Amino acid sequence: MSMITPPPEFPHATAAPKEPSHPAGMLAPERAAELGLAPPGKPRGLARRAWEVFTENKLALAGLAFLIFIVLFCFVGPLFYRTNQVNTDLSQYLCRPSGEHLLGCNDLGYDQLGRLMVGGQTSLEVGVAAALMAVLFGALYGALSGFAGGAVDAVLMRVVDAGLSLPYLMVIIILSVIFHPNPATMVFIIAVFYWFGPARLVRGETLTLRTREYVQAVKVLGGGQLRSVTRHILPNAIGVIIVQATFAVADSILILSGLGFLGLGVSPPATDWGSMLSGGLNYIQSGNYSWLIYPPGICIILTCISFNFIGDALRDAFETRLQRR
Amino acid sequence: MVGYLIRRTGQAIIVLFIVTVSTLALVHLFPGGPVHALLGPRATPQQIAYYNQLYGFDKPFYEQYIKWIGQLLHGNFGFSDKLNQSVASLIAQDLPKTVILVGLGTVISLTFGIPLGVYQAVRRYTLGDYVLTGISFLGYATPTFFVGLLLVDWFAVQTRIFPPFAPQASTVAGILANPRALVLPVFTYAFLLYALWSRYMRSSVMDNLVQDYVRTARAKGASERRVIWGHVFRNSLVSIVTLLGLLLPTLVAGAIFTEVVFNYPGMGLAFYTAALNVDYQVLLGFTVLATLAVVIGNTLADIGYAILDPRVRYS
Amino acid sequence: MTALLQVEDLRTHIQLKEGVVHAVDGVTLHVDQGETLGVVGESGCGKTMTALSIMNLLPVGGRIVGGSITLGGRTISDLDDEAMRDVRGNEIGMIFQDPLTSLNPSHTVGAQIAETVLLHRGVTRKEATSRAVEVLELVGLPRARERIHEYPHQFSGGMRQRVMIAMALACQPKLLIADEPTTALDVTIQKQILELIDDLRRRLGMAVILVTHDLGVIAGRADRVAVMYAGRIVETSPTGALYDNPRHPYTEALFQALPENAAETRERLYSILGAPPDLVHPPDGCRFAPRCRYAADRCRAEDPVLSGESTAHTYACFFPVSAGEKTEADRLVVAGTEQEQEPQAVTLPPVGEVVLSARDLVKEFPVTRGAVLQRKVGMVSAVAGMSFDIRRGETLGLVGESGCGKTTVGRMLVGLEKPTAGVIRFSGKDMAKSSGRQYRRERREIQYMFQDSYASLDPRMRAGSILREPMIVQRVGSRKQQLAKVKEMLGRVGLPESAMDRYPHEFSGGQRQRLGFARALMLDPQLIVADEPVSALDVSIQAQVLNMMRDLQQQLRLTYLFISHDLSVVRYLSNHIGVMYLGKLVEIGTADEVYLRPAHPYTKGLIESAPTADPEAERAKTHEGISGELPSALHPPSGCRFRTRCPLAQEICATVEPELKPYGLPNHLAACHFALQPPAEVLAATTEHVP
Repeated sequence: MSMITPPPEFPHATAAPKEPSHPAGMLAPERAAELGLAPPGKPRGLARRAWEVFTENKLALAGLAFLIFIVLFCFVGPLFYRTNQVNTDLSQYLCRPSGEHLLGCNDLGYDQLGRLMVGGQTSLEVGVAAALMAVLFGALYGALSGFAGGAVDAVLMRVVDAGLSLPYLMVIIILSVIFHPNPATMVFIIAVFYWFGPARLVRGETLTLRTREYVQAVKVLGGGQLRSVTRHILPNAIGVIIVQATFAVADSILILSGLGFLGLGVSPPATDWGSMLSGGLNYIQSGNYSWLIYPPGICIILTCISFNFIGDALRDAFETRLQRR
Repeated sequence: MVGYLIRRTGQAIIVLFIVTVSTLALVHLFPGGPVHALLGPRATPQQIAYYNQLYGFDKPFYEQYIKWIGQLLHGNFGFSDKLNQSVASLIAQDLPKTVILVGLGTVISLTFGIPLGVYQAVRRYTLGDYVLTGISFLGYATPTFFVGLLLVDWFAVQTRIFPPFAPQASTVAGILANPRALVLPVFTYAFLLYALWSRYMRSSVMDNLVQDYVRTARAKGASERRVIWGHVFRNSLVSIVTLLGLLLPTLVAGAIFTEVVFNYPGMGLAFYTAALNVDYQVLLGFTVLATLAVVIGNTLADIGYAILDPRVRYS
Repeated sequence: MTALLQVEDLRTHIQLKEGVVHAVDGVTLHVDQGETLGVVGESGCGKTMTALSIMNLLPVGGRIVGGSITLGGRTISDLDDEAMRDVRGNEIGMIFQDPLTSLNPSHTVGAQIAETVLLHRGVTRKEATSRAVEVLELVGLPRARERIHEYPHQFSGGMRQRVMIAMALACQPKLLIADEPTTALDVTIQKQILELIDDLRRRLGMAVILVTHDLGVIAGRADRVAVMYAGRIVETSPTGALYDNPRHPYTEALFQALPENAAETRERLYSILGAPPDLVHPPDGCRFAPRCRYAADRCRAEDPVLSGESTAHTYACFFPVSAGEKTEADRLVVAGTEQEQEPQAVTLPPVGEVVLSARDLVKEFPVTRGAVLQRKVGMVSAVAGMSFDIRRGETLGLVGESGCGKTTVGRMLVGLEKPTAGVIRFSGKDMAKSSGRQYRRERREIQYMFQDSYASLDPRMRAGSILREPMIVQRVGSRKQQLAKVKEMLGRVGLPESAMDRYPHEFSGGQRQRLGFARALMLDPQLIVADEPVSALDVSIQAQVLNMMRDLQQQLRLTYLFISHDLSVVRYLSNHIGVMYLGKLVEIGTADEVYLRPAHPYTKGLIESAPTADPEAERAKTHEGISGELPSALHPPSGCRFRTRCPLAQEICATVEPELKPYGLPNHLAACHFALQPPAEVLAATTEHVP
């Protein structure tokens, strides 16, 4: 998103001159000309500036607050709100919300609130893990491709083109059918076809960074490629990668919930927010069972929106122009 | 331009090659191979060997691949033993219905998404923009099936304005004969797409509005209306066209979820049923067809981009 | 007679996140029918904002908060948007700096020009299109009838600017505002465009406001000049009077900072202290006072108004510099307080042995098609057989238009590009022959100073780390020694030690260029290749950097290869000048020889095209310059590569490639069949530059 950009004619505001102290004799005569250094105070690096831009974004802060809440809810909540999420209890079949079961029970008698916590653990764990795996691999692949250039790049990128042309969901459904996944394989299934997008973006960023003069400067100094990559290209590409990872978490949670909804997600008794919704369709058509669908659905939406808010704010903060897949 | 077309088509063929190879390889990932999945866990090794030979799964991978591609080129997408029907006939039966859903949803989402995206960019940081941005964010974050569930709950279960199921007809005419039942599936399908279009259009128009050529147009005395629709709109649309190509897999995914939620008798539902039945011929055939559609769509989008952007057209 | 355009006490504010910028703060100016007003000033002075205010085309957040603008007796500053649209493009036309981005990439040029006509004249599309052809012919676009169907990217830079002009003139406006119309163009094209604007002004009887940072551009073109500083006009006068007798200290300083004025004496340039004030919180009193060498207490307390002996020449200063007699006496009075600022003649350092020699350097870039196979479809001949020597302690200036290959030469010397053919010897050793540790060791000796100081400094590193990096890469010294060296170099380039903790974006442009220079010095190199180091800087900052480079050259006995498109800067700094055209060295010799007695027609054309800040000299110049534009390096012309644009070209030029031969004084070589100087005695030609 573009902000109001200042007209190019205006230089940065400069502070009043102050005298530098110098050993005599080696000064360029106009040393006084160089008094206009930035205002005193802490030097503001990119990370610091990024944080300032980020915190100006109220939506992102709200998103961050919600994520902290939901993590505590899912991982600390079960310590206080103890429920049995292993054995079914058919006596509690579809019971309405009550003092005993704050959000009622589902068709197997599991307590919905407790299930929301357990399912949330899976959704968050799988979402974050799959996103990290896909983005890390994609970033590595993209960086390699961009840095190698030439024919290697062309071949590696055709593979990415092919990957991006695959009907993602269909392939994932086939994999789920094959593997009857547990959370660990789920991470793998989601990641293995997700990394193409991040790979393409990071490759683009690497290509741009490679031609930057400060990367070329290393070569003039007699430095090797390793130094260019580790000291200059990676630190400057990290912004793009972080932004990608943030969006990828939202996407992974959505994908996992989609598979769960189709009954192809993690196998019972494990569950996730999407799996909690899979039975919901039948019941809402036969009566008012809103507690079955609203809590997990709203959790998915709010969590994904939070990650999207944060991702957008980070992108603004890093001033990158990328397009999400 | 001709050179560009040839190059682009060449790329598409390379991509198709990689994709078909990996799709076929996917089939071999079935535990015990595809025949095992077909016959079920009680199959004897003799049976498996027999069918492996029958289907040619004992041949080297490249031979299978060549044979399979040859069949595909002749329109032979395989035979579903579970449905006792050729996959091609299944496609012929279900594809038109899915095209209706996807077509209507895409058209409706574009009709709202593009103009509203322009509106948001022109009126950026106003109340209207914030409200629409909120809706877009919701569209991004809400799974399609949950949109469907909500619409069913609100408009079918609670208020009974629309039926909760899609038209259950086997023909296109039958589907179209019941437009009321189409409303919820189409809107479910269109919601995510609307969010994508409006958001991309908004940022694309905003990017273009700060370009120098916009200032030139104003310096000529062009009205804001003319600046937006005569100058900015076309340049903004160009970037959307390439996006269209990249979003095709999303269109496929949306169709599957929508069809499952509303029991819409299209390819998505058939694919889902095949997945539950481990009907691998259907899974394979549908995936290849969808991939083909995506690759062709991608290529068309790029060519469309080249036609819209004279810088590519004349290079 | 009332003026065509009268701007009265114009005030424009721009709302930014960090506050309100008082971009234009009480500007009063007028333009008469048929005259050219030059508005000159450094970046950030508000000259562009003044122009945009007249058109009411301010950027987001900008608005006119005070004053009035009258065009032909009608007040246009309070018109509503609809009425103002009738003025834009119809009564006032405007052209901008970058013709590529200023044209809509997806419309044909014909449609874009016709649009102006359609908007303001009740004509049919057909009539509008034929008007488009008419104005395109007017601005000198060949084959206009066919080319209206083409798109902007199919035109060259100069032709695009002609299209912009045609667009602005399609409705015959009474006033044309040209905002830096030639800044993005090469000097030869710049001259063509300026001639065109001048010519059209005369033929169409319109008035022109020429906004620029370049005193040379104004000198030959403007009838009157307004000098702007920090949102205000500080001096306004007929052009001749201003250049002969600047009264405001800022104007005077601008002139003294021009390298061309010191080219013969090679005095230190005068550089203005500090940076322009922050326009969010403009200072009280005279805005130039903090940087003014004559400033007194009164200047810091009171705000001077524009006044003068005649209404034609006014200036906003309590202590105007005296007329015509910028005498030694005056200077000495000042020098008493600010001795360091006293310009002093500097003799060029004595030159020593050959440090670097290049022989038959060739660089070709393949043009490829296809994603995987990368078929080669052509060769761009960037550098085509260059030989030259650089001697210890001297500066070799390399000058030429963009695309001539001068940057590629520099990049080959520092190892950023591998020569396709040819040898580079440093201290007699073939640089291509070493590898590994030895290569790294040799890299220390030749360092590079980038044009864009911002892009060449890693935004994530503090200045201290940036300066240490060369020593870390080369594994020189302990951490302590490295830090000591960083401090020493910061001192040498005139930056405080506290700069070590700062990030690149916290420095101004000139400071960043100093930082870039300090980095180049960290390894104690012998040769520094400086690629356009001052071309992005304002003239006063440019003077600071040039002075610094000169001082350090003497202190550290550095050798420079100075690459620039700006002949006056090159001449000021260099002992020898090499002139490049399309990958070839067409002329080389001592700076004065090449500049004063050019042998190659291209060199002569280049010198004539470059505007100088001297109205009389500018007006006396021929209108010739160099016609046409640089041909593609993909298919360079046969024989002499310059022949397609050369006024002297004959048949032989197309068939036989001229070799570098001595002309005039020894060591002055040129590659031309019809050189402008008599050939030197063959025996007299030493082999300084060609073995």
